[in-house]
Amino acid sequence: MTSTVMGDEVRIAEKEGVKHKNPIVIEGLPDVGLVGTIAASYIVERMGYKEIGYIESDLFPPVMVVHEGKSKNPLRIYGDEGVVVVLSEVAIPVGAVYPLTEALADWVKEIDSKLVISMTGLPAANRVDIEKPEVFAVGNSEEALNELKDKQMELLEEGFIAGPYAIMLRECSKRKMSAISLLAQCFPVYPDPGAAASVIESLEKFLKLGIDVKELLEKGEEIKLKARDLMRQTALSAPKMQKGVEQDIPIMYR
Amino acid sequence: MGTERRIIRTSWGHDGCLEPLYELEDREDAILVTFDLPRVRKENVEINTTENTVEVMAKMSDAVCWERWGSVQKRICFQAFRKQIRLPEPVDPEKTSASFKNGILRITLPKVRRKVFIPIE
Repeated sequence: MTSTVMGDEVRIAEKEGVKHKNPIVIEGLPDVGLVGTIAASYIVERMGYKEIGYIESDLFPPVMVVHEGKSKNPLRIYGDEGVVVVLSEVAIPVGAVYPLTEALADWVKEIDSKLVISMTGLPAANRVDIEKPEVFAVGNSEEALNELKDKQMELLEEGFIAGPYAIMLRECSKRKMSAISLLAQCFPVYPDPGAAASVIESLEKFLKLGIDVKELLEKGEEIKLKARDLMRQTALSAPKMQKGVEQDIPIMYR
Repeated sequence: MGTERRIIRTSWGHDGCLEPLYELEDREDAILVTFDLPRVRKENVEINTTENTVEVMAKMSDAVCWERWGSVQKRICFQAFRKQIRLPEPVDPEKTSASFKNGILRITLPKVRRKVFIPIE
């Protein structure tokens, strides 16, 4: 591993010899409905992306994950030359959100990413009655907004957004980088593979990976069972993450 | 003993039962509890309520097995969900209602409240 130190608090390490060609960076960190996490894991599996790095910090819980006998960092980076996927198998503590997104934004700038896409959920009180979750999008610049309009994405016109994806938009703006968030209607505290499928379908407009979500939907119940503990951890940190504010109406609402 | 319980507390048991994810909402007149019950059919859900608790037992349509499960590192199968929740206020078990759709069980437990009219002097 070649370690790329991106700050005092968060370190991003990449494997030696990894090459990037203006990649699109997809972020799928744990949040409501684990939409991003489920979608990112499915994309990595379907595309056969190799692990190319990891993220570590003393601000994260002192936890490693074991896969096939080998310990790994729970926050890992997968991809190829044109696509990078960032995912986590543990909930992100609220105190780590700013340093993590700052380090990620520094790193995606360094690898000359052309677009950062965060995948996440938008809590819907009536989710149980929604057959196919809709996806809304937010951009961080005129350029990003034009990209969204060009792709005929429905915009999240007004409201508050909270969590790592919200700060990622800001950090990318500060570095003059285009970033968007795709938010699928979801169950707030239950893993939502249906919402993850919707977000992947929207992602196709930007990436053309040709990913079929049929298997994700078919294995939805199994995924829900496997994701219970991460969902529980993530739900516990939601109040500190100010997720409730996403249901509020801004004072400048037109 | 307390510390040990906190460390080994799990959301699953060796009896083949998983603890479901649930959400409790304390509304003005009722307590609303929802449970996420994947692999479960409506006819296999059993709900029992008292004034202070609600208990759900739900059998999965087929067992789910994992070859190397967490800290036990052995094959383990789960075939049901079970959870008892202590309610924050007394409810009327007789007036409890429930619905089940797309794997989500929704239980509405009306609160027991004796309303007293207070005249303003």
